[in-house]
Amino acid sequence: MKPVVSFLLQLSPQTAYGNLEAVARNLSDGLEILLNYRKVKCSIFMDGPTMEMLKKTAKPLSIGKIKAGVDEGLVEFLGGGFYDPMLPLFPKDLQVRQLKKHRSKLKSFLGLEPQGYFNSSLVWEMGMISVLEECAFDYALVSEAAVREALGRNSPVSGWFTVEDQGSLMRVVPVSDELSKAIGEDDLRWREIAESYNREEKPVVVLLDLPPQAEEIVGFFERLVDFVETNEVQTWPVSYIVNQLQPEGALSNLVSAGRKLGLPFAANTCREMLVQRPEINTLQKDLLNLFHRGKGNLQGKDLEKFYEELLPAMSPIFYRNLQDDEGMRSLKVRQWGFRYLQKAAHDLDSRMNFSGLRIDVSDFMLQGMKQIWVENPEISCLVDYNQGGILRLLNHKTPAVNLVNAWHDDGGPALFLAECLLPNEDLTTEQIGVLLAGRDRLFLEHYDYQVKRESGSAQVQLSGEQGYRVGEKQGVFLVKKELHFDNGSPRIGVAYEVANTTYQENPCYFGTLMELGLLESGEGPCIVADGSKVKWDRREPFIYPDAKKFKVFDSSLDAAIELEFETPTTVFIGPIFSASSAAAPQMFQGIRVYPFWKSSLAASEKFECKMNMTLSKR
Amino acid sequence: MRADLIDIQIEDFGNDVEISLSGSLSKAQLSAVREKLDSLMSGPGVFFFLNLERAHFAVDDYLEMFLDLMNKTRERNSTMVLLFRNEELLEYFSRYKNIFEIHESREAYKSSGLSKQLKQVGVYYGKKTGLRLSPRVAIAAGVLIMGWLITLFLIIAAQGKDIADKQSQIMALESQRDRYVQEIDKLESSIGPLKRLGVVEDTSQLNSFGAIRDWVSYLKHLENTRREE
Repeated sequence: MKPVVSFLLQLSPQTAYGNLEAVARNLSDGLEILLNYRKVKCSIFMDGPTMEMLKKTAKPLSIGKIKAGVDEGLVEFLGGGFYDPMLPLFPKDLQVRQLKKHRSKLKSFLGLEPQGYFNSSLVWEMGMISVLEECAFDYALVSEAAVREALGRNSPVSGWFTVEDQGSLMRVVPVSDELSKAIGEDDLRWREIAESYNREEKPVVVLLDLPPQAEEIVGFFERLVDFVETNEVQTWPVSYIVNQLQPEGALSNLVSAGRKLGLPFAANTCREMLVQRPEINTLQKDLLNLFHRGKGNLQGKDLEKFYEELLPAMSPIFYRNLQDDEGMRSLKVRQWGFRYLQKAAHDLDSRMNFSGLRIDVSDFMLQGMKQIWVENPEISCLVDYNQGGILRLLNHKTPAVNLVNAWHDDGGPALFLAECLLPNEDLTTEQIGVLLAGRDRLFLEHYDYQVKRESGSAQVQLSGEQGYRVGEKQGVFLVKKELHFDNGSPRIGVAYEVANTTYQENPCYFGTLMELGLLESGEGPCIVADGSKVKWDRREPFIYPDAKKFKVFDSSLDAAIELEFETPTTVFIGPIFSASSAAAPQMFQGIRVYPFWKSSLAASEKFECKMNMTLSKR
Repeated sequence: MRADLIDIQIEDFGNDVEISLSGSLSKAQLSAVREKLDSLMSGPGVFFFLNLERAHFAVDDYLEMFLDLMNKTRERNSTMVLLFRNEELLEYFSRYKNIFEIHESREAYKSSGLSKQLKQVGVYYGKKTGLRLSPRVAIAAGVLIMGWLITLFLIIAAQGKDIADKQSQIMALESQRDRYVQEIDKLESSIGPLKRLGVVEDTSQLNSFGAIRDWVSYLKHLENTRREE
């Protein structure tokens, strides 16, 4: 019996490619090989930007051939999101916009409307059914593992099923994980696996990823043609399954966490990523904040244009726990994602003519606790008063950068303005680095907040008790932390008052920890202390004594942060690395800056210090 | 913890301050809401817009709180405006609808009457700067300033007209000069062949002629030359 396979060729989202133009040219040549052979019928998915590039680079004759191939049923183009997002992570308005934009691009490119929906991450949730139905999709491709889970069986599943939710219906076609892997990895057992799916000559859907290197794409198509010819494989596009075969039954519930996302095996949904990785969660919440603000304040064309600005930040690359520029483990990818959002924020401000200061006390992170969002036309930041008043986000809008963008392998968020006590001992620079990385001497207790408005500015006043441990001693300090924001300037004033309420002396080093996602490029000068450039190799930590002004700048991002101290201050600076499975043992994830002051903190004594932070372009 | 369920948003635009409350507000949150609003509205600002569109009040105690807040803002010569459009809130505030300033949005309030807003700003700054003007003096000062402005405008307009006249004269003279140059070129070209034949001597090219600045000097020069001869 001939194996019957529906090949689904998937091009990674455009963000995966360094040179999209070369990819599009090779793709056009590869498709020509496939269509000339005429015996391979398959389905193809590519995201919007790749499609646009293909339209731009392909010769008119090639486009004509592709159109003819579609008409003759040799090739089927699948629909999806314009940037191929994982839909359940985003509001419905943005989901629909992504799907409709991709559909209209496909229509203008090839004059066809897609019948099937595909998402390269194979994420599925029941809430997607109504959206897909609204966007005129007949069927959707889902992971076979999810269908097996829904059916409660371990045997191979092929054909198509139905799912319904809130009165909407969708046909789902499982993609065989096992056979896709076997054919993709040239496993000789593939025929045996295929037979287990091909009962009653039902085709099995095999997902093949096109290689990310442009020069390998043509070779991929040649190998595919060769494979079909040599093994006498009977092929069909995926639509054949839905259009020609009877349904296998109905599924009451279907959930798929997706593939190639870096999620733990036990994860049920892609939303697990938001719980596991605070960096991804912060990016998504920043996007939701912008979305809600835009939706509440803009209308008509302004709103549509603003939504367009948000769409690229929905690309799956920003929601994967992967390294090597494939996910958010790469500092470059995180900077990239926040750049899209800050550009959208800047656009929103100009559309709303926003000036002044906006303070929003709400559950920004959607975790059941409030945070304080402070925004002016220059900067925005998120003050987490329930966790020691740390800044979870610090966006500078004009260079479009979020400075609090480092990564921690322990799954904790990057911290900014996190107060930390170090013992008054003879510590080496390395020892300070280790203590700071350990994060167990931080003031992370809840503060009470007060917003005090002044003329042209506002203060967020935080106060509360913070537990400490210095050497053998333990106790509670009464801490007041004031953040001062101006209406239209990228400056934040910070003032501390630490009162020792105990009857024992607590000599210590008091400082504030800042973990910055900067200096990814790794070249050139990056620090100016008291007007002089300081050499730093970005590998070994160092301490700069008695600084009045300390500036860290990133030339490639065109971003800088300058700290100005009221009294001479010692500043620790060190790199943040994370583990890597790649050839390089460690990945650079940002820098740790820790300005600190020596304090005797005798019984009932108060310690006070102040500094100003100014964000600027380089 | 229930007090922590309220969402508060403050947008500060200088004289205008919009404070939005959202969430379900029961008795448990009353003191927290009162404290937050009291603190926020004691800061600078002339118009305090309380946007309650997304708030739901579970008890009547909030009415008293808003009355109290309104009195306090009046004491500070500021105005408190409630913003909402939903029926539920209209019903909730119906008892005091004549007391509270209720509008659908900030823009709706702004278009509801310019004079009362100007008056409000005047009262606020009068209080803030300690400078108080009676309406008559304010009108007189206004008329005086307007008079200055009009005079200044007239002077500028007159000067502008003068400049425009001179410019047109310059343009006319320039075009006249161009016309003369063309005419001379034409005359020169018409006597060109004669010049080449040596019939006409071009006196304009003579150095002595060119050196002589006026005819009186020239004639004196001729007479001197003859005498010497």
